[in-house]
Amino acid sequence: MSNNVRPRLMSTSIRSLASNQLTIAVASIIALFIFGEIIAPGFLSFGHLMSVLRLSVFLGIVALGQALVVMSGGEGIDLSVGSVVSLGVCISSSLLLGKDANIPAALLGAIAAGFAIGLVNGVGVSYVGIPPLIMTLAMASVVDGLSLIYTGGYPRGTAPKLLEALGSGRILNIPNILLLWVVVIVAATLILFRKRWGAILFGVGSNSITAELSGINVKRFRMFVYGICGAIAGLAGFFLLGYTGTPYLSLGAPFLMTSIAAVAIGGISLAGGAGSYVGAAIGCVLLTTLSSILVALRTTESVRQIVYGSLVFIIVVAYTRRRKE
Amino acid sequence: MKAHRVVRGLLQNSSFPSFLMLVLLIILNAIIQPGFFSFQVFRMNFMTFTPLILVSLAQATVILVGAVDLSLGAGISLVTVVMASLMQNSTLSMVLVTALGVAAALFLSFFNGFFIGYIGPPPLIMTFATSTMWFGTALLIMPTPGGHIPQAYYMIYGKTLAGFIPVPVLILLVAVAFCLLLGRIKAFRHLYAVGGSERAARASGISVTGTKIFAFLVSGVFIALAALCVVGQTATGDARSGQGFTLNSVAAAVIGGIAFSGGKGNYVGAIIGGIILGLLINIIYFANITSFYQEFMKGIIIIVALLFGAVPRLRRELSHH
Repeated sequence: MSNNVRPRLMSTSIRSLASNQLTIAVASIIALFIFGEIIAPGFLSFGHLMSVLRLSVFLGIVALGQALVVMSGGEGIDLSVGSVVSLGVCISSSLLLGKDANIPAALLGAIAAGFAIGLVNGVGVSYVGIPPLIMTLAMASVVDGLSLIYTGGYPRGTAPKLLEALGSGRILNIPNILLLWVVVIVAATLILFRKRWGAILFGVGSNSITAELSGINVKRFRMFVYGICGAIAGLAGFFLLGYTGTPYLSLGAPFLMTSIAAVAIGGISLAGGAGSYVGAAIGCVLLTTLSSILVALRTTESVRQIVYGSLVFIIVVAYTRRRKE
Repeated sequence: MKAHRVVRGLLQNSSFPSFLMLVLLIILNAIIQPGFFSFQVFRMNFMTFTPLILVSLAQATVILVGAVDLSLGAGISLVTVVMASLMQNSTLSMVLVTALGVAAALFLSFFNGFFIGYIGPPPLIMTFATSTMWFGTALLIMPTPGGHIPQAYYMIYGKTLAGFIPVPVLILLVAVAFCLLLGRIKAFRHLYAVGGSERAARASGISVTGTKIFAFLVSGVFIALAALCVVGQTATGDARSGQGFTLNSVAAAVIGGIAFSGGKGNYVGAIIGGIILGLLINIIYFANITSFYQEFMKGIIIIVALLFGAVPRLRRELSHH
């Protein structure tokens, strides 16, 4: 049964379009690194390459949740991920208080909070029929408020040694968190393309009526996808704390726009039902490289915002044009 | 029998649930806010309600045509920043900069409408991208809030004309007149056709591209008026002053019975939706909730309002199918 909803059915034109887009993305990353080396010698060094990749991981984790929500269709999108990451950071740090022994509790706390928020999103979207965009946008302000109430405006606690070792440590000069990401990429790809769950996700995303007819509870499935996205965002907050060491209230904010941009760059159809996580991961590396270039150019926050916005704008317009032809 | 039919017609009107909510909220506000029915409070309330109603109308217009505008808030911020960075004390400058502000708002909307109409990217992601672009541009012009808005200019917003028409209410009346005018234009009826079914609209010879651009331009008129209100309210340029309006506008439009699928709803609903949201925010403000909880409560209330807005519609949709 699961075979007839496999993404293999996805038309070859869409597939070649996606791979074409990924080729452009990879070429852009290489071009950006060469450009970086010209404006700031050492940009192309192994050490800097690794630090760019390490920074991509946090975005990459958030983008996984975003990708799943987008793939599940029904105009799926989660605009609350940035706020959930921030909440995950605050919850983790307050539960950790710098002690390694508290890691299980903090991990569980961050994931559970994110999952609960995601489920509420899912109920609103799936069962009540509130458009995902507005449901999650409203949820973002609720979660921002929750972080504020929870921390009293001043997040407390720090990351313990073990978490810091995971977030900023290296094995054989390769960041630990990067190794973790490789595992995540492989696992996500296997689940999406080799497991029944992935087949159902693409099935629900590409045609919810057929999926419903083949016995899938589409509403419940979509609700859980939002829950998973929230849990992943909470988890990203936990890891992010390992990188920054100390919590801030708006640590997750930059992840909102970039997670959507990464998904769009990665060739994941915004209509749902198609795409791969590898694509989104490449999108994450591209965006992080770009941001690294912008930092090297000493641009202000404003220019970075304009560049990100224009980039997504150009991709979306170019993508739509090609699909029309 | 006839009375029964009238009642049923009333119940099935798309604005009915919102109207019921409006009455309920007015009662609640009357209890909470001291002197709710006095002229002073009425005037003060409309200083904040008017921009909300205007953005609700702006959002409703693009939702009707089957799109959405997430860049509306950032657009308002950008207009305030442009105006505050250019305005001088002379009357001529005030008039010219006001015209420029309106033109800027129209251009931003046209930009969105042009690409959505001609090329057809998903409006959601397109306007999310432009939102980031507008915000970045506003931040580039004014990294911190500031600029100069002459006192003589921003004081206008708080004035009362002829002793009984506050300026915000006058602006609202202008908007309503504009709505009535739109109702007489053929292109406006095409909005519903395109929002309902693009294919059917195209088949019956309606220019889908033109209608979408038209919708965004109309929306731009409301956004321009809202931006002028915000300048009057805040008396500064601020790259973040419009931020909250994006969510508020979508919420107000949905509360007002504008269907997200496009083609369903009307301006009366959008106006009611804006007032409802204004009253809800009023309640949070006057219920003495500490500032920490305000943001949280606002989000919760918007979600609850969406639930209320969705439930009767859902039930109706189910009974129709």
